[in-house]
Amino acid sequence: MREKTKIWKQMIQTSRWQTRLSALVMGSGQFLYGCRIKGLLYLAVEICTIGYFAMRGMGDIRGFFTLGTQTADPWTNTPGDNSVVMLLMGLLAWLILAGFVALYIANLKDAYRLQQIVDRGERPERFIDAMKRLLDQKFYALALALPVVGVCVFSILPIVFMILIAFTNYGGSIVPPALVDWVGLENFEKIITLSQFAPTFFKILSWNIVWAVLATTINYFAGLGLALLLNKDCVKGKAIWRAFPILAYAIPGFITLLAFKFMFSYGGPINQMIRDAGGVAIGFLDLDAKWTARWIGLLVNCWISVPSIMLLATGHLSNRDMSIYEAARIDGATKFQQFRRLTMPYMIFTTTPVILGQFVGNFNNFGIFYFLRGGMYMDGYFLASDTDLLINWLYNLSIDNNYYCIGAAISLIIFIITSIISLTVYVRSSAYREEDTFQ
Amino acid sequence: MKKVIVTMLAASMALGLLAGCKENTEEVSTNDTPSSEVAGDAVTNQIFTGELEENVTIQVLENDTAISKGYFQELIDAFNKEYAQYGITAVDANMDQYLDLANDGPYGYGPDVLYQANDVIMKYSEGKHIYPLPVEQLDCYDQVPEDAWKAYLTDIDGVAYTCGVPVNIQAPMLYYRKDLLPEDWESTWDKDGNQVPDMVESWNDLYAFSLARHEEDGSKYGYMKAMNDMYFASGFLFSYGAYIFGNGNTDTTDIGFAAGEAEKGAHVLQQLASAMNEDCIDDTITTNAYSRIADGTYFATMSTPDMYSTFIEELTKVYEAEGLSTEEAETKAKENLVMTGLPKLPESGDLTEENPTLKEMVAMGGMNGYAVSAYTKAPNACLAFVDFATSYEMEMKRSQMLGIAPARGDVAAEAGDVSSILFARLKNNDIVLMPSVEAVSQIWVPGQTFFIDLAKDAFRLEDERKYKDLDAMKQGLNEMCQQIYDGIHTLQ
Repeated sequence: MREKTKIWKQMIQTSRWQTRLSALVMGSGQFLYGCRIKGLLYLAVEICTIGYFAMRGMGDIRGFFTLGTQTADPWTNTPGDNSVVMLLMGLLAWLILAGFVALYIANLKDAYRLQQIVDRGERPERFIDAMKRLLDQKFYALALALPVVGVCVFSILPIVFMILIAFTNYGGSIVPPALVDWVGLENFEKIITLSQFAPTFFKILSWNIVWAVLATTINYFAGLGLALLLNKDCVKGKAIWRAFPILAYAIPGFITLLAFKFMFSYGGPINQMIRDAGGVAIGFLDLDAKWTARWIGLLVNCWISVPSIMLLATGHLSNRDMSIYEAARIDGATKFQQFRRLTMPYMIFTTTPVILGQFVGNFNNFGIFYFLRGGMYMDGYFLASDTDLLINWLYNLSIDNNYYCIGAAISLIIFIITSIISLTVYVRSSAYREEDTFQ
Repeated sequence: MKKVIVTMLAASMALGLLAGCKENTEEVSTNDTPSSEVAGDAVTNQIFTGELEENVTIQVLENDTAISKGYFQELIDAFNKEYAQYGITAVDANMDQYLDLANDGPYGYGPDVLYQANDVIMKYSEGKHIYPLPVEQLDCYDQVPEDAWKAYLTDIDGVAYTCGVPVNIQAPMLYYRKDLLPEDWESTWDKDGNQVPDMVESWNDLYAFSLARHEEDGSKYGYMKAMNDMYFASGFLFSYGAYIFGNGNTDTTDIGFAAGEAEKGAHVLQQLASAMNEDCIDDTITTNAYSRIADGTYFATMSTPDMYSTFIEELTKVYEAEGLSTEEAETKAKENLVMTGLPKLPESGDLTEENPTLKEMVAMGGMNGYAVSAYTKAPNACLAFVDFATSYEMEMKRSQMLGIAPARGDVAAEAGDVSSILFARLKNNDIVLMPSVEAVSQIWVPGQTFFIDLAKDAFRLEDERKYKDLDAMKQGLNEMCQQIYDGIHTLQ
């Protein structure tokens, strides 16, 4: 930082008037030092940006703060402000401004660099040569430019938009044409402090963490176990056995879930068999079935997720160095010792990012309990049931009940939790610390 | 010709607006109209100018059954032919029934005309997402009862607007198989000798018959209905003094599912559940009732009039499988499947009471109808479509093809008993129309949860039961009301 400040100070002290002119008119320094096309391009950027801000950018930034002042009335044909659109356009204006600032700084640095080249008595690089260099030595920058713009517009913008919604009162009866307002941290305060809200949040959060850990562990070891089993030489017809889990994987998840819901319902085949055998039907997924329903959820999730883990593990297992196992065998290691000391460390090392991905996916697994056990609010829960995960609660709040701002606040909390857990585990894992070991 | 009529209508509206310019002597008659009504008319007249937009396509969101049974295609074909001269074309909006006009409409997505239940339509009126309509101009206006129009009335800034046009009334009806009655029912199940089986006249008898039928054959049941369905179950509470929202279903701070002696209704439901099996706890019966009624496993169930054709279809299939021709099978199905009003309830709330004093059952109902999106580019063409779709001919066709209970009096008079039963019940306040406020969306899941718990209770072991007496049921209802209240107000 100190170094950068020093460089900027030096630039200000030693720059000539041509370079300083670039601070006012972008590209002028480049133009005067002989790089005319580059200078004109910088100038075009400045003109376009000023034009954009004069025509709508300033209004969008103002709208970003006010979120509208005039309420629309479709009945009287009164045009009004759409707060959500204003928030989005305001955000876009900030992004454009950030892009412009980045280009402005690049313009100043480039002008100073050209000044130094000219001062050394050298000839500045021609535009055509710069282009060639961009296509050759800096091709990565050129190739990544478009995806970076795409990521900004289609990924960063919606994420930031969602984060900002968490700080507004958007939702409930406040949807366009009604005007939305900024409310600061009020939504987070509600989650933590409201008597109906806070207990539900903490109950669901704790179940969500238990679920994510259990689901990831069960899925991972079931998938690995299946892969090891099908990897054994004594198993005949491996291709056929491997095809069965893949069939389960190929069927769309929600169809599988609805099928399981039917199977475990009172009128489903499992209860039919119990009744036919003289027993009493079991409410596997009903109101009283808290832990039964949770275990069924875990097993159904296992059914859906195991095939992908099995396929992944099969691939990794085939890459093992079998001479290590040979050596272990000679040293007298049992099968279990070989698994614990050789297979597991290797698999954990190679699949840590996948396990983290599974963990985050399970943490945000919306479908399982939505399809298996949706449509119930339990005593002691606010608009949720005892099997709902945070993502299901978020759906109940934001889609079923229109509380978008609260939904966004919960999304942000989920994001923070999963990010912290994922980053912490990943940074501490051998896959990160000993990246080159197995290469 | 239509343009001439439209011009005349527009001219008459303009003259109406000029009424205020008349001399003082005539002002008395002008002042007879409430100022709020004049303000409302001014708004609707500004939107619906009477001048048809030409060469436009209007997207219509219709009911799934109307689409699958072919009625909707006939409707738009007839309309498009009639309005071809103006280049107005109606098409299927091809959108999900559960659209979100409030969120999608402002961005140009959504239908121009929508057919929905009154509670769905009216939740859009609060945010002005649908237009207020000049309903007096419509052909059906005089034919539709005042109570039906009320379902679409809204008050915005002190001005009353009508935001929908009633098409048909929806309320629970009892469906039963006449041929499954005991052979000697006239001597054993017709105490009053009125040639109507007792078990479709009183819940006490239907309960007793259900127990007897199941006892005779363990695989057969009497009355079967999913208990988790708030729409059908809440009627039992209303019959004993419960209501949805206070102040005529407008005060959402007053949740009334536990009001009066609502616990008696809960007790009736619990007793009915005990005469069924555990299938009544979840959606099982909702999905299999059509086939189970058809194969004779169930004797009776409760459903809405628009499902009549589905019941008939299933029963026809069974008869066809038995060797009858399609025509014979359909005739026999229509003969044996009876759709009738709901049985009466005991005042005591006890289905085991002998010789009970009976009272009419109150049920939750809805008024399905058309509304015009406030985001349409062609409001006048949309109004023309609504006018056409609610004409005598089209409602008659709808009634014949879908078996619905039409809102138009002239169609209802010809449509048969169902409509007259429903309108009589509406008039006697035996049908509680779903509230026309957005908050009604919060009642379903808490209600469903309570009714699941109540039904489950009938199958719990004695010492595990949660609702052992009326007080416990009252407590459960109060908790459900609290959940609804929290859902509506906590985050507002």
